[in-house]
Amino acid sequence: METIRLLLVDDEDHFRQTIAKRLAKRGLASDQAADGNECLSILEKKAMDVVVLDVKMPGMSGIDVLRHITDKYPKTEVILLTGQATASDGVEGIKAGAFDYLTKPIELEHLFNKIFQAFEKIRRLDAEQKEVQYRKQMEQQMIVTERLASLGTLAAGVAHEINNPLAIIRESAGWMRQLFAKDELKDIPRQKDIAKALDKVEKSVERACRITHQLLGFVGKSESTISEVNLMELTEEAIQLITHEAQKRDIKILRQMEPSMDTIWSDAYQIRQVLLNLLTNAVHAVNSKGTITIAMEDVGDRQAITVSDTGQGIARENLDKIFEPFFSTKSPGQGTGLGLFVSRGILEKLGGTVEVASKIGKGACFSIRLPKHPKGTDEFNERRGEGWVEKIKSRFSEQNGEKS
Amino acid sequence: MIKIPTRVLLVDDEKDFVEMLGLRLAEGGENVTAAHSGRECLQVLEKKEIDVVILDILMPGMDGIATLKEIKRRFPLVEVIMLTGHGTTESAVKGLKLGAFDYLLKPAHFGELTAKLESARKRKDEQAERIRKAEVKLLLRKSGDI
Repeated sequence: METIRLLLVDDEDHFRQTIAKRLAKRGLASDQAADGNECLSILEKKAMDVVVLDVKMPGMSGIDVLRHITDKYPKTEVILLTGQATASDGVEGIKAGAFDYLTKPIELEHLFNKIFQAFEKIRRLDAEQKEVQYRKQMEQQMIVTERLASLGTLAAGVAHEINNPLAIIRESAGWMRQLFAKDELKDIPRQKDIAKALDKVEKSVERACRITHQLLGFVGKSESTISEVNLMELTEEAIQLITHEAQKRDIKILRQMEPSMDTIWSDAYQIRQVLLNLLTNAVHAVNSKGTITIAMEDVGDRQAITVSDTGQGIARENLDKIFEPFFSTKSPGQGTGLGLFVSRGILEKLGGTVEVASKIGKGACFSIRLPKHPKGTDEFNERRGEGWVEKIKSRFSEQNGEKS
Repeated sequence: MIKIPTRVLLVDDEKDFVEMLGLRLAEGGENVTAAHSGRECLQVLEKKEIDVVILDILMPGMDGIATLKEIKRRFPLVEVIMLTGHGTTESAVKGLKLGAFDYLLKPAHFGELTAKLESARKRKDEQAERIRKAEVKLLLRKSGDI
């Protein structure tokens, strides 16, 4: 049985104590107050579920106390006790927000039941509130998902339209280059300036192409090749690709992997792209002198991989935005703002998830989960709280949570 | 060594693109013809001997895939390199299954394009050579029978 926090308020000591004793016999402990003031000062220190309140008391009347309670502690339910002659007080009390009233002399059985009914109401309201909150949260998520989806479609359309003029620019610049290389044009003045300008044109086309291709790659890739993937090997490959860059910047790479990891069924190429994205981001975040930790763990029907770094971290207000297309804190030309957007798209297609936790100045931690089998995986089946992957995550999220 | 020009047919509804790429390929010594739609492409193929078609996938009217099907049905020896504006490999895979030699993402690198053009041309030549040899054998056998 859940404990009901119960407060009895009555100026008749004997009556109050008797009721308290008899309720206690039936397993219902209670606090007591002899008048309205005492009642309110108890409530200030300790939250109560149900207050049983005598209406007729010297000093502050029961109705006044009731008004205070409904005002300051809306979650607390009040049961009024009225004298035989003053049952109208009870009606007034209900109008003022009491749960119900009982007329003295009361039957203990009645009181006992009323207290439970009041408590039931509290629990019901609580559950309803949670339900509303949950629904709100779900709606929020839906909005975000839908917005990302439409953004993706739009972005892909734009990218596709831009590719054609880009191709023309590239061919035109290439053609000019070919022309200037010809013997008859060898001696024209300011060759260097022209070459420099052409260089800029070509480099910019290159940059624009990277963006459009990444965008199209995200939206268009509905076909993926599922095969048996050794995540350990795959991760090791991805690490190899950034090792050189990491060494140059004096970044240590630590591995925490369980040697007995099984293979999973997924798309090796796409997972490698995700891992490479996360690792490259980590290298950029650390910049120089720091650590990147890659951890892997078997989590039931899923494999978890976390990439955490000791870099600059992600500002709280940016945590929601980092998965949106074109969001980047790197300087123009350095990042396309698509890496995480594409990564999340890939993971969702593969039935996986990605989460982030970060604290400014401490670093960031990206954890991805991949189903071991492509089909029959259920997002909602995701289990929580296992092992150190969760612990690493919680180390970040706790600190974040405190501020909210 | 003298370069034997590859007879290239460039098919894209973007006229500027066809023009510029055409100029570059011609400068590199290829024999370039231009077409701006699938229908025009097939008309050219009927009249002219072509080695390799560089074909845009996304065109209004008869699209690249439909054009490719027609090319392979009516001119099976002509090699086709597809240009896809999609990041999707889907249409590329479809094209390859229908007999295209290879594909390139648009905007393609000129170097990659010429390299693929070269190998497409090579395959066409080799195929033509095999056919020629087989025909010779056939002729010999027939004349042997006599």
